[in-house]
Amino acid sequence: MNDAPRLDAQDTGAGWMLRLRGDWRLPQLSHARAAMATLPALDGGSLSDLRLDGSGLEGLDSAGALVLIHGLQAQGVAWARVATAGFDPRRQALLDLVAERMTSVSAATSSRPGWLARLGEVSVSVLRGGRNLLAFIGHVGQALGEVLIRPSRLRPRELFTQLEVVGLEALAIVGLMTFLVGLVFAHLLAIQIEKYGANIFIVDGVALALARELAPLLTAILVAGRSGAAFTAQIGAMKVTEEVDAITTLGLSPFQVLVLPRLLAIVIAMPLLTFFADLLGLLGAAVVAARQLDITFYTFVSRLKEVLPLDYVLYGLYKAPVFAAAIALIACRNGFAVSRDARSVGERTTTTVVQSLVAVILINAAFALASPEYRG
Amino acid sequence: MTGPVLEVKDLRTRLAGQWLHEGVDFSLGRGEVVALIGGSGTGKTVLLRECIGLLRPTAGQVRLLGEDLWQLSGARMNRLRRRFGVLFQEGALFSSLTVAQNVAAPLMEHVRLPRALRDEVVRLRIRLAGLPLDAADKRPAELSGGMKKRAALARALALEPELLFLDEPTSGLDPISAREFDHLLRTLCDSLGLTALLTTHDLDTLWGLVDRVIVLHGGRVIADGPVAEVARVEHEWIRSYFSSRAEEWR
Repeated sequence: MNDAPRLDAQDTGAGWMLRLRGDWRLPQLSHARAAMATLPALDGGSLSDLRLDGSGLEGLDSAGALVLIHGLQAQGVAWARVATAGFDPRRQALLDLVAERMTSVSAATSSRPGWLARLGEVSVSVLRGGRNLLAFIGHVGQALGEVLIRPSRLRPRELFTQLEVVGLEALAIVGLMTFLVGLVFAHLLAIQIEKYGANIFIVDGVALALARELAPLLTAILVAGRSGAAFTAQIGAMKVTEEVDAITTLGLSPFQVLVLPRLLAIVIAMPLLTFFADLLGLLGAAVVAARQLDITFYTFVSRLKEVLPLDYVLYGLYKAPVFAAAIALIACRNGFAVSRDARSVGERTTTTVVQSLVAVILINAAFALASPEYRG
Repeated sequence: MTGPVLEVKDLRTRLAGQWLHEGVDFSLGRGEVVALIGGSGTGKTVLLRECIGLLRPTAGQVRLLGEDLWQLSGARMNRLRRRFGVLFQEGALFSSLTVAQNVAAPLMEHVRLPRALRDEVVRLRIRLAGLPLDAADKRPAELSGGMKKRAALARALALEPELLFLDEPTSGLDPISAREFDHLLRTLCDSLGLTALLTTHDLDTLWGLVDRVIVLHGGRVIADGPVAEVARVEHEWIRSYFSSRAEEWR
């Protein structure tokens, strides 16, 4: 029943007569465009007497009308000069509406900016990002100062909720991960050490690596992926639903209400998690030492007392709050940077994880360079 | 095609342990613009969702464009979905796409068109919905409430629907924008030959735009007819509904 759209042109001598046939609707739009292209050149003085007959039409919708009117315009025929006949009233109304609304529809819109303009845009946005970061750190510092002056401003309930989520609920996964890493690390070390018969030195190697590097770094990476991403998504979703604006209009500071509890919770929880990671990592190593190298648990612990000075443990624990602060600041800042659309939350959460991992690795490198052994 | 465009027969809905609809019947003829009114919580929006295939009614029949909506297979329902457009209450524009991309989305999914031609159709839709062309490259978050509704209307019109469902089209608009929107809708329905079913709380929309009003109350249709007739029906709720505004005017 749906014939392809056609347009028959006939020069009657007293001007052109165009007959529309077939189905001029959206599914056939490409054919309609093709039919317009086969039109002979409607030149000459007879242009003023163009007649359009719609009695053979099977269907017409606004897209078809658009193609028809555009096609005629491309031939230099203004719609106002076309005499229509044989259209039912509804199709006539449709043609009139499209003709009225379509002025400038075909005009090309935005042109792409040149590379210099784009370079400029990127540079400005990078600089602006840097300024926003400084402003954000300033705001957080201000909120922290207010709490120090008036501790009643601190929100204990929110702080404890965050402590539970960030610290307590992360215990299991942090413990499991460092236990397994301790196990594997000790196993690989044991294979080498056995060759030299230096079995007892496994304690030295594992304790040093775990306390100074592995435990703090692994915990930080886990918390960045776990809590950092959660902070950004939570604050971002609140931004989308205008809850952050509501906090502001209630006369509260979003930094006070949202950022500080998270920042403090993560800074408190991270050293604790790191210490827990130390213990579980050593436990994993002790299991390997007992099974592979015949070092009893008692021997392992007494050797540990001799070779692991408190300074090394503390060195690892000192790093933890610095990692934590970096993760919290990055995560909260990205949360506030969420714009009011759905994709933005996902983008910002990804950014948080990437940025905080990079930050953790960089801070760790800075600590290593600044350590006393390095300076000799 | 003759016969009603939409026919709802003895529709019953049970939600959260309560009967929301207890036998709703009405039908829409081609080209009609019909408003569905009723107090908050009478299930207008639920009824609309049942008509567009988003929520399965507990019992009863919805015949949409001649087909029994809830007996269709998934593929056939999707084919049917191309023949009607929906304007959600908050617009439901895809927030990460520009207005033009929002309007182009259904076209890209369902119609094979050269890019230039598709862009022309998109611009026509935007103009038909009464938006300036420079709104095309904006994101929904940058638009005012009235412009959002118009952009959503442009998207609903993208596939040349025969039937349009609108959930509270004028809510959240100022009276001037609301009347403009009514006028736009009337023009579009008349010249595109659209049938429209809308839910509304707006009395001015009832008096100015629609051909017929259906009143939903207590799980049933208690009145169905032209506004002037429905307004005279002797029923407590209808009387207070229509007088709530009349008193203010005097």
